[in-house]
Amino acid sequence: MKQNLKSIQPVIIWEIARDEWRYWFRSKLAVVALLIGLACTVLTVVVSVGDAVELEHQRGHAQQQSEQTFVNQPDRHPHRMVHYGHYVFKTPPPLGMVDPGVDSHTGNAIFLEGHRQNSATFADQKQSSGTTILGALTPAFVLQVLAPLLLVIMGYGVVSRERETQTLSILAAQGLGYGNLILGKISALLLVAMLMLLPLAIAGVPVFLHGEPLLTLSMFLFSYLLYLSIWILIIVSVSLWAKSNSISFSTLAFTWLVLCILMPRVATNAAGVMVPAAGKLEKDFAVVAELRQLGDGHNAKDEAFAQLKTELLNKHNVNRVEDLPLNFRGLVALKSEAEMTDILNRYAEDRMREELQQSFFARQFGWLSPQVALRTLSMLTAGTSLETHHRFLRETENLRFTFVQKLNQAHTNKLNYIDDVNRNKSQEAGQIARISAKNWNVIEGFMFRPSPSKERALKAMTPLAQLLLWFGLFCIFLRNLQRHYS
Amino acid sequence: MKHNAPQSSISIDAQQLVVNLNNKTILNNLSFQVASGEVYALLGGNGAGKSTALKTLLGFHKPVSGQAVIGGLPVSSSFSAIRKKIAYLPENASLYPHLNAFENIEYFLSLAAVHKTHAEIKMSLQQVNLQQDAWKQPLSKFSKGMRQKTAIALALLRDSPILLLDEPTSGLDPVAIDEFNLLIMSLAKQGAAILMVTHDVYGACQVAQRIGLLRDGRLVGEFIADGEDQIDTEQVHKAFTAGVID
Repeated sequence: MKQNLKSIQPVIIWEIARDEWRYWFRSKLAVVALLIGLACTVLTVVVSVGDAVELEHQRGHAQQQSEQTFVNQPDRHPHRMVHYGHYVFKTPPPLGMVDPGVDSHTGNAIFLEGHRQNSATFADQKQSSGTTILGALTPAFVLQVLAPLLLVIMGYGVVSRERETQTLSILAAQGLGYGNLILGKISALLLVAMLMLLPLAIAGVPVFLHGEPLLTLSMFLFSYLLYLSIWILIIVSVSLWAKSNSISFSTLAFTWLVLCILMPRVATNAAGVMVPAAGKLEKDFAVVAELRQLGDGHNAKDEAFAQLKTELLNKHNVNRVEDLPLNFRGLVALKSEAEMTDILNRYAEDRMREELQQSFFARQFGWLSPQVALRTLSMLTAGTSLETHHRFLRETENLRFTFVQKLNQAHTNKLNYIDDVNRNKSQEAGQIARISAKNWNVIEGFMFRPSPSKERALKAMTPLAQLLLWFGLFCIFLRNLQRHYS
Repeated sequence: MKHNAPQSSISIDAQQLVVNLNNKTILNNLSFQVASGEVYALLGGNGAGKSTALKTLLGFHKPVSGQAVIGGLPVSSSFSAIRKKIAYLPENASLYPHLNAFENIEYFLSLAAVHKTHAEIKMSLQQVNLQQDAWKQPLSKFSKGMRQKTAIALALLRDSPILLLDEPTSGLDPVAIDEFNLLIMSLAKQGAAILMVTHDVYGACQVAQRIGLLRDGRLVGEFIADGEDQIDTEQVHKAFTAGVID
């Protein structure tokens, strides 16, 4: 081992890396590939950061406006306000500028109203025009999928070219060991990778200024560097093994196709097959069927609330609901909303559990593809993963239930039952069956925040381990290959 | 008939080398020695094992038996150190086509940790008679002879005490061949041990003090120059073509 370390010559490694760069600069294909790669990274980073800052501003404004509109409603019947509802918006996490993750598919806004759990809406993908609906070019996509291809185009011949032009024997005759040669080629490609990561590192400044902790930011950048390093090891290994440039290129192109294009889709499809989940329509029917058994919360005379009525009459020792100290219709609305929410939450939790199981299954493909591992790691670290989206749904549902029940409570306590029942008899009766607009101050200021940095880092340990395993395996593989050829 | 080099100054010592490649015996008990200040030519036809012999001395092929010692070091265990002492000129001067002659030489020298000034590199390129206007052109535009001259310049700049030359005059015009032969003889006079493999009988006789005739991986005869006289070309040619050695 000592002998091995002694044989590593940094000056020689630098010379080899420098010559590789000289070759790339003189080769039109390599220069074009490098320029395209850099342009893609720079443009996507600039556009994404600009978009994110604009969207954050828009969402903040929309959130404020939505809350203000709700609060500014005039005196009304409280149940009208339950249905009036209002929007809440998810401000994307700072790293969402780079990796929007599931957010671009799931949406960032939810309309909160009584008796319903609406899905998130306004997903970027759904708002896109026909030309962009197939997928926006994000920095994450460029670095996860296109950057390896760029490295393949630039690096497939790093060793096989030397073999083909028979310069390997001359290099060996100068006393140059394969170890230094390989390290030189790796260094050259590593510089390309770092150049591609540079815009991402620069984007780290606004991300940091938007409140992303340095630990998360460092882990995010490190994971991308680790991923591109794995690709560099794959490229140099194949180039060392291949007898010719064409074999090296075709092998690497096929590897890229499998690892970056096919495997992520196989993972998703396999998860769908191995962890079956009922379709949305099927579930919606099941929910509706169960909700029907609860009775209609708008109808206090529904048989479903007979027991409640009896209990209340007995409790307050009266014979008619009109004599109750509270508005029976409001109490029915309270009970109905609570029961309904229990059912909706149960189905929602089932759905989220299934989604997580599918996601967990798909993430295991990270052992088979570093791209899948990085995709998971990137989303978990950025706070744009499925888990974060589920937290957003839970938090907004909690907000919805709280504000609806506060309105139902106001309905119960502040509106007389007889006035309530007679509200449709005349215009005047309708005016009487209203409560003060002061009661609309039931909306808590909603602010969705990313999980703490440590929590995200802990969740990202498995995909990080997957990437480290890939890196370790290819280090060993390349070392053995080098020994074989030495 | 085998003539050994003076024991005190042996730079290359091949002892009963047997090399098999693809289940075929390429070198069969090959033994020869080259002393400092001597040009030794291994002469043989296609497939005789000439290039394999050179590559075995460089440690590219491992002999199944026998051993080679260069500069006092066994090739089997010290090939990396040995390669730093040797200047090797392959048959096809495979240099980098994207670099010019000057850059190629600079790059290879830097990998061999040999430091030469621009003036020294220029002098070497002049020495091999590579026209000056070609120095800054990429090698992809060079003829075979020009590439060979560049490789020779590189080999000379290594200042190695041992030179291994594989068909060194292949692709050179007659004038360049004569100049190259003079250069080789001059280097030998300065003390370099030079082993060249070739099928050029005339060239071998012109420069070598000893010629080993290689056939089917075996040394079937040796010719030695008598004092200042060259080896008799006719005799070697006869043996080479007829396969009969006196």
